Amino acid sequence: MIKVRHLKKVFRTPGGDELTVLRDINCDIEKGEVVSIIGPSGTGKSTLLRCLNRLEEPTSGVIEVDGTDILDRRTDISLIRRRMGMVFQNFNLFEHLTILDNLTLCPMTLLGKSREEAEKRGMELLGMVGLHDKAGCLPGELSGGQKQRAAIARCLAMEPEIILFDEPTSALDPTMVSEVLAVIRHLANQGMTMCIVSHEMQFVRDVSTRILFLNEGIVYEEGTPEQIFENPQKPVTRAFINRIRTVESILENRHFDLYGLFGKIHTFCGKYGLGTKVSDKVEHITEEMLCGIMPFCGPVKLTIEYSEKTSGLTLTFRQENATTTILDNTDEDSLSLMMVRGMSTSVTEPETGTVCVEI
Amino acid sequence: MRRWCFIMIAAMLWLVSCTGRKAHDLSGVNGVEDLKGYSVAVAMGSSYDLMLSEIAGVDVIRLGVGELLVAVEKGRADFCIIDQFQARMLNLESRGLEIKFNNILKGTACAGFRKEDSLLCSQFNAYLGGIRNSGVYDRWLDEWKSASDSMADASLLVHRHEKQPGSRALHVGITITYPYLFLKENNLTGIEVDMFNRFCEAAGYAVDYEIYDFSALIPALNSGKIDVILSHMRRTEERAKQVLFSDAYIEGGGAAVCRSGDGMSSGERAGIRERLKDSFNNNLIVEQRWKLMADGLWVTVRISVLSILAAVMAGVLLCRLRMSRRRMVSLPAGIVIDLLRGIPLLVILMLMFYVIFASSRITGTWVAVMSFGLYYGAYFSEVFRTGMESVERGQWEAGLALGLGKFQTFRKVVLPQALNRIIPVLKGEVIALIKMTSVVGYVAVVDLTKASDIIRARTLDAFFPLILVSVIYILLSWLTGLGLKVLERQLTPKRRDL
Repeated sequence: MIKVRHLKKVFRTPGGDELTVLRDINCDIEKGEVVSIIGPSGTGKSTLLRCLNRLEEPTSGVIEVDGTDILDRRTDISLIRRRMGMVFQNFNLFEHLTILDNLTLCPMTLLGKSREEAEKRGMELLGMVGLHDKAGCLPGELSGGQKQRAAIARCLAMEPEIILFDEPTSALDPTMVSEVLAVIRHLANQGMTMCIVSHEMQFVRDVSTRILFLNEGIVYEEGTPEQIFENPQKPVTRAFINRIRTVESILENRHFDLYGLFGKIHTFCGKYGLGTKVSDKVEHITEEMLCGIMPFCGPVKLTIEYSEKTSGLTLTFRQENATTTILDNTDEDSLSLMMVRGMSTSVTEPETGTVCVEI
Repeated sequence: MRRWCFIMIAAMLWLVSCTGRKAHDLSGVNGVEDLKGYSVAVAMGSSYDLMLSEIAGVDVIRLGVGELLVAVEKGRADFCIIDQFQARMLNLESRGLEIKFNNILKGTACAGFRKEDSLLCSQFNAYLGGIRNSGVYDRWLDEWKSASDSMADASLLVHRHEKQPGSRALHVGITITYPYLFLKENNLTGIEVDMFNRFCEAAGYAVDYEIYDFSALIPALNSGKIDVILSHMRRTEERAKQVLFSDAYIEGGGAAVCRSGDGMSSGERAGIRERLKDSFNNNLIVEQRWKLMADGLWVTVRISVLSILAAVMAGVLLCRLRMSRRRMVSLPAGIVIDLLRGIPLLVILMLMFYVIFASSRITGTWVAVMSFGLYYGAYFSEVFRTGMESVERGQWEAGLALGLGKFQTFRKVVLPQALNRIIPVLKGEVIALIKMTSVVGYVAVVDLTKASDIIRARTLDAFFPLILVSVIYILLSWLTGLGLKVLERQLTPKRRDL
């Protein structure tokens, strides 16, 4: 239904610099699919979605909707937009109209429906999203969740073939997220074609038929929810899915600043709510590893990874210029190694010179 | 903080008290030379003004013709100089005033022509010479001089002449100066008008009188707005450089008027009620002067309505250009807006009338409408722009994403919301515009304010015309505000009961 080839979008900042948000996007959306776009913030997920109905003008590339090139100047984009609904992060209900008038304005203006017809269908749709009683209210009188449901109903009033959701729950209080997601789930069950940009990972996993992981301006990885969530192929995808947080430090020689490093560890642990106990443990392991085990035949790179999803902590010590394995050459009775083993669940050396400690 | 407030208030009171004048002993004053040390009110730009400016030590207060007597009455000036003929015809005693001495700058009034229009000037001179020789002139002047202030037949004295088809129309610039040129029962009359009518008939011209401020007459003549100055103007060297003067047609001089010696102040003369009644009669009823006010009001309303329409159109256009994404368009629009807002409105009006449209025959009314349209268009455009920008981008996007075209989105989504925010701000600007139309008198339009000026120049009474004009302006502003409020209420979004 929608075919995107070599899509590129460059933003010009006020300073005159160029910022390439989308480098080379290729993807297809077929009828009946629910395609979700996920990825780190700032990777152009919303930009991609907004390019699909040309709210954002792509720099180059091809977007075809049912075989029509929508970037062609001769294409009447309004006609295409009528068939593509869009739900915005900030709802964007028409503030000067009642909820029902929000739903009837476009069908009456663009589809030639009579007021009775449009209002009848409008009330049906409001009933469907659970806002039958709010038809006569102004948008300002509704809660965020109700506004977003009304906005979805407004989209549906145009009988679209596909709906684009641009972070539909990002502007909502946590308590209102589920009511909106329930409506979108309902639409998915009815077989509506949808393209969703969202940060609600569990929801995306449940509702999607296919997931696009966007990173560095391209479709970095693509697959079914199982493939992406259970078995991501690329490290960046894995880090994103497991919500892995990292901190890195390079220690040039034996005379590094230990207390500076402790400070860094403490801050990192505090930021993700790990508590002093964990933070002390990490500091101890780090001290023993660096002062007792690592040979320092060159700089040592320390990486601490914390997965918010599994709550697993991994410390990786990578010795540059290592010629021999480290653990094999350390005395098993060495006090440092015993302490490290005692405090961790596993100590391994997956490749020569790199020691992984998991807690 | 409080101490500073005290100091400020004290300073203000001191300044106010300084502007009040001490009573002077006026008995020794018998001529122009004796005016040193006194304050003298004169009409701005008049020959008395020029004369007194050259005498050191005289405190010259330059005012409009209508304010001169009032200034003396209220003690703001010791003397004022007005035409002695006029002074004699006014009932000065009833206002506690008297003529101190006469024949100031005794001279003669001439008609003024453009330098290159010497043919017309010599025609006029020939006519004057003719009636002087035949004695018609003396008889005619006597008739006028014997007429009293309340002369019922003043308008009958004026020679009316029918316009002959195909004849050249002379545009004559006049300043209302009783009893030479004034309005009675809303008709222009007076000695000079009478004389000039007779001349035009004899020479076969049609005639068209336009009312100007005295100081605007010479610029108007030189820019071609008028062909003749007929305004009791004296010949001076300075003026003769720019104007071709005819032979003198009337002799006269100024009278110095001061408060009469018995020191009756205006407050003691009559009760406030009587004075109000007198003022009302004098300024509105006598000679049907209310008709002049009514005509003036109509002109004010017409100019206001047309100017508001023009300003809205100019505002929309400027706003559209200003909001253009192309810098080649938005930058010049921004500069034009800044320029228009940077020049005082009165200066724009004068520029349009005396410079840009100097040689065209376009009337002052249309020049005023154009000036107001441009000036307030610049202000309106910024109001429109803020209104448009206050509507979130999301509203545009929502409309477009649903498939509405750009104009449909503007018309159905953005405009209703923008208007709702524009109208309350615009209200103040519109009312300011209505009040600002009071300056159109400078381009020979007789609006409400000018009408009251004319009446004041005739009755030399400030109180009633000014109060009445204020009340009318307040009513106009109030009605406009009310109308816009109703519109605002119409545009406020309302919930529906379903």
